This record gives sequence, C-alpha cells and structure tokens, in this order.
Amino acid sequence: MLFAGAVYLFYQWQAGARPLDPVAVGQIVLAASFAGLDDQPQPLEQWRGKVLVVNFWATWCAPCREEIPGFIKFQDQYGARGVQFVGLAIDGKERVGPYAREIGINYPVLLGGLQSMDFARQVGNSRGVLPFTVVIDRKGSVVTTKIGVLRPEKLESLLKPLL
Amino acid sequence: MLPLRLILAMLLLLACAARAGEPELLEPEKAFRFSARLLAPDRLEVRYEIAPGYYMYREKFRFGAEPASVTLDGSQLPPGKIKKDEFFGDVQIYRGDMRFVLPLRMTGEPVPRFTLNATSQGCADIGVCYPPQEQKAEITRTGFSTAAPVAGLSPFLQPATGAAPRGKPQSEDTLIAELFKGSFWTLVASFFGFGLLLALTPCVFPMIPILSGILVPHGEHLTHARGFALSLAYVLGMAITYAFAGVAAGLLGTLLSSALQNPWVLSGFAVVFVLLALSMFGFYELQLPSALQSRLAVTTNKLHGGHFASVFVMGALSALIVGPCVAAPLAGALLYIGQSGDGVLGGAALFAMALGMGVPLLAVGASAGALLPKAGPWMETVKRFFGMVLLGVAIYLVSPLLPAVVPMLAWAALLIVFAVYLHALDPLPHGAPGYRKLFKGVGVISLLAGVALLIGVLSGSRDLLQPLSGLRGAAAPAAQPVLFQRVSDLSQLEGAIARAAGKPVMLDFYADWCVTCKEMEAFTFTDPAVRKRLDGMVTLQADVTANLDAHKALLKRYALFGPPGIVFFDRQGNEIKGLRVIGFQPADKFAAILDLVLN
Repeated sequence: MLFAGAVYLFYQWQAGARPLDPVAVGQIVLAASFAGLDDQPQPLEQWRGKVLVVNFWATWCAPCREEIPGFIKFQDQYGARGVQFVGLAIDGKERVGPYAREIGINYPVLLGGLQSMDFARQVGNSRGVLPFTVVIDRKGSVVTTKIGVLRPEKLESLLKPLL
Repeated sequence: MLPLRLILAMLLLLACAARAGEPELLEPEKAFRFSARLLAPDRLEVRYEIAPGYYMYREKFRFGAEPASVTLDGSQLPPGKIKKDEFFGDVQIYRGDMRFVLPLRMTGEPVPRFTLNATSQGCADIGVCYPPQEQKAEITRTGFSTAAPVAGLSPFLQPATGAAPRGKPQSEDTLIAELFKGSFWTLVASFFGFGLLLALTPCVFPMIPILSGILVPHGEHLTHARGFALSLAYVLGMAITYAFAGVAAGLLGTLLSSALQNPWVLSGFAVVFVLLALSMFGFYELQLPSALQSRLAVTTNKLHGGHFASVFVMGALSALIVGPCVAAPLAGALLYIGQSGDGVLGGAALFAMALGMGVPLLAVGASAGALLPKAGPWMETVKRFFGMVLLGVAIYLVSPLLPAVVPMLAWAALLIVFAVYLHALDPLPHGAPGYRKLFKGVGVISLLAGVALLIGVLSGSRDLLQPLSGLRGAAAPAAQPVLFQRVSDLSQLEGAIARAAGKPVMLDFYADWCVTCKEMEAFTFTDPAVRKRLDGMVTLQADVTANLDAHKALLKRYALFGPPGIVFFDRQGNEIKGLRVIGFQPADKFAAILDLVLN
C-alpha cells in the first residue's frame, strides 16, 4: 500500500512537472493554418466556436487508421450539434487523397507535412508520435490531448459534456 | 518462493497500473538505436537496436550516401516477421537487434569519408507510430572505424536527455521490461518497494537476532535516537553490500544471475543454510573467528564512535548471510539490471532495495529495542522456528537438483521434527496458556502433514501437493492429462509454431519442482471448459527441469526467470503481448484468457 502510494505521488509529481495552459495551447491550435487537399490554405480559426477535434494522423500509421472510422461516425452523429473533426495528415497528398476518398472521411483533411510534428509537440505531444488528438471546447481552450488511439467510448465521454 | 514470485508480479502490476494514464514512450532515437560501421571496403553494416515493445517496417528503410559517388544497395534486407495490416495487407516488420549488411560501391575518385543517410519508420506495440526519421552517420573509410550517429540532424530527433537505462533488445517486451522504460528514479523507487516486500519474507529473520545482539548490550541505556542510529548503520552496511552486487550485476550483465542458477552455487547456499539452522538449534554459537573479532574490537575502539563502524561491518556481513535467501527474486532483479548494462543504475536500485528491506530493522532500532521483547526462553522458540525456516529454504534451494523423492522425504522429516519442537506429542499441562494450545494445534497439523507426506512418498507418490493420491486406487476417475507436445529448444519451438498451421499456440513452461505448474495441471488443465478450448489450439510444453543451456535460452527468449509461465501465440505465430499467464490461474479465469487467444 505504502509503495502504491509512493508510486502514485511520484507520477502526480511527474505529471505536474510540465503543465500546459489550456487557453494558450488552444490559441496556438486555432492560430495554425494548413493546406487542404485542394491546396487552399485552411486556417483552423474558421472552426472557432465549435467543439473542435484535431486528429494528427498518417496513412503509414496503422493505429491512426484504426480510429478514423470511429471519427467518421462521430462526425455524422454529432456534427449537427457543433462537433467538428479535422484530420491533420503528416503525409503526402498523393496518399492522403485516395485514402480519404476510399474510406469516406466526411470532415476536412489538411496536409500538415512532417513540419507539423513540431506543432504537435508544442501542443503536448512530447514524443512526436501518431496518432495524436486535441479536443478544443467552444471557448477555444484545450480540454484534452491524447497520444495514441482514442477509443469511441472515451471520445464519447469527452464530447458529451461539451455539446 | 511462490509468494515471492507473486509479490514480484504484484509489484510490476502496480508499476504498470500507475502509468496507465498516458503511454510512457521512448524518444525515437532510444526506441530505434541507430549505428553504422564499415565491415570491409565494399560492405557497410547498419544496425538498429529496437527496444522491446517497438518494431520497424521493413519496406520503410531507405539508405543513401553523400557524396553521390558512393552508392548503397538497400534492396536486399532480410525478411521480417509478417504483420497483418487491414489496409496494406501483410507487411514485414523487424524487432530486436537488427543488423543489415549493405553492399557499397564507389564510382570515380575514392573519398576518405562519406555520410550515410538512413530513413526509417517504426511504431510501438501500445498503438502509436513515430514519423519517418532520417538519421545520419559519418563513415570514415580509413581503418573501418565505427561511426556514431550524428544527432539533431532530423527535425524529429531531440537531443538525448538523461541517463535512461540502455535496454538490450533481445528480450521481448514484458511487464518487467516495461519497468525499465521508466526513468531512473521510477526504477529506484520500485526497487525500494520491492525491498519492503522482501522484508515481509522470512529472509530478514536471521537479521533480527543479529540486530538484537547489537542493541541488547546497551540494555536500559539505549535511547531511541541511539537505537535508530545503530540500526541505521547496520542497514547502511547491508545496503552498500547490495549496492556493490548491483554495480557488479550492471557491469557483468547476465553472468551473475546464471551463476545463481548453477547447481554448485545452489548447493553451497543450501549448506550455508543448514549450518545456520544448526546454530539456531543451539548446536554451536555463530560468531566471527575470535582473531578477527579481537582485531575488529581493537580497530573500532581506536575510532571515535567506533561502535558504529563495527555495526556497519556487521550489516555488510549480514547481507551475505541473507543473500542466498533472497537469491531467487534477486536473480530476477539482477537479470534485468544486467540487461541495462548500467552499473550506476544497478547500484542505486539494489541500494534502494536493501533500504526497503531494512525498514523493519530501523523500526526495531528506533523503538530502542522495545519491539524486540526482552530475552528469555521464548527467544529459544523463535530461534528454533528460524532454524526450521532456514532448513526449509535449504530444501527449497536444492530441490530442483534432486529427484523428487529426496525433497519430499526432507519436507516430511522437517514437518515432523517441527511438530515435535512444538510439543505436538507432549500432553498439555492442565490450565495451559492459550498460546501453548495454539502451538500444539499447529504442531499436530504439521505432524499430520509430515506423516501424510511420508506415507505418500513411501507408497510411490511423487506429488508434493497430493501425496496420498496414490492411495485413492482406481476408484478416482483420473482426469485425462492435456497432451502437450514437448519442445526443448528454440528451433523445436519455432518449428512447432510454424507447423501450427493457423491454430493459436500455447507454450507452457514446466519444471518438476514447480508447484504452480502442478497445480495448473491438476486443477486448471483438467477442467472441461478449459479442455474444450485447448482442443482448438496447439499446446506446447517446455520442461526446463534440467535447466540446460537450451532451456535457459528458451526462458530468456521470453524474458522469464523460470516456470511457471504460459505464453500464447496468435494464428500467425506472433506472441500475443500482455496475455501471459504467470502463476496459478483458476479454470474460469484461464478459460477467459483462452477465449481471448482463440479470438
């Protein structure tokens, strides 16, 4: 018991060592702009006021592909209630376009390129890995960041209170 | 031993549960450690040490060189393991320590040095991928020297931070390996906890009489502060000895732990334990040789506060006495410290573990001996009890080395003698105190168990758990044993997995001395629900009783210390991570695990 307590405290302490300000990080995200599949710049600012889910992914990332069908379903289900998914692909346009068409991604897909991993690190992805998802509330502050696959049940419990 | 295994497993579970929140990930250059060297003027070796729990995609490797007059052929990489990918179909992946030999050609003017550009991409089993990374190495052609990777050239390479333990990549990812992905202090804290748990085992008991021997001469004058200081000196002496063992383990690698499995070493420890036990029974008084004692006394008298120095030395010597008792769990710990190859880490970890073990001793000291009841005839009882425990440890240590009948007879004898010491055969005096009745009860149980064991072994039973099963006769319906296909080395195992032809595979590590294995055979594998599920699988068993080199290699391949351990493979022959069964599992739980394997 003592040991479990010690370990718990240790992790609390570690987690507290790198605090991220949800408002500041939200500003960083909303200030960013990436090219869409049609090469037009798409500032994220345009989705301010929505419950914004930014998902960093790539076609070469198997775990990313695993969670995308769930996102498509959520976009269908909650889109009318103000939820907006945005996929930020760390990948080439020649692969992203066909993939998005094939599995029917129903939300905007932007091309981040490798440079956007620096952006991902800024918003809390300390190891620069994929998949990585940031959820921003209607006021523009970060509610959660998730490294790794976001399970539907977890996503649902995150989004429900924000609607 | 079994409780110790259990404790270790619990400890690891705790460590893992605590980090369930956010995945603990290595920096990419630690997950995929890159280096390159020239083997010959026309051959370049590129090496990736892939950390346990991580893998790399074969088709994602690209190798190039600057200047362009140097060309590398990266098209002939060795085949990898097949991994199913629902989008790309079957892809090949690499794990562990990968070395590629690339043919190298030079056109035009030979250059003395060139830059290797290696692009690669990999993922972690927990379900994240790293972006493609480009790593560079400067290769000097004169003298074919090793080239260190040049850090910071790729936007994805962060400069290395901290002294993270360097994991050898041969072992697959296990809970224990996970532990070593954590930071230095996480590991040290875990070992402290491990030490605390060890303090609950009988291993620390021999230290209590020693410590009381130190405290008692102070009699009434012993203050709490002095008691604490004395016991602290004692514990520090012990801890520093362990720290040395840890440093040695870190530097020697796995040599030490394999030494602890050596029959001669085990026998030697068993003899030490028997000798210690005999002293507990009062056959002789255990003390340092008088010459050494007087020299110590002279030295310590010269020193100011010299008593602390001698207490410190006593602590160091005690560590040697207790060492063999904690050998089994220690071997596991040392094995992994050895894999880290880090002396500082090893030293710090074992120092912390010894401090954890010393906590009860510190409590005894701080209480100024109050927690140690005053000397009296009861001490003799306690000493005899410790003697019994020590003899039990001795039997346990050598039982893997002997035919089953010998340890069984020894256990029977021990139980019966123990019963006699508890006055199981003496009549209780009228109005005997409650504890006497309790002791007598325990003694009678011990006597019956010993007699049952003795009858069992003499009637031909070799089963420590069911000594009388032979007397049941034909009336008892013998449950059909699971038919295991035996494998005794890695190549047999790989062959058997290859022949499994789309069936999941269960690999059970077994040894004659492994009580849990026998419990599993007797209670779990015989269950109809379990049997039904096992029928859909290929069941392999590795009997590692003889502890041959091939057996050790098998255990090492799956990073197990020894049986019990059950490893599952999916229909493609890949190990299913996180589904291992270590320790006893009742039939319903085990069936649920088999369902996971089958689906």
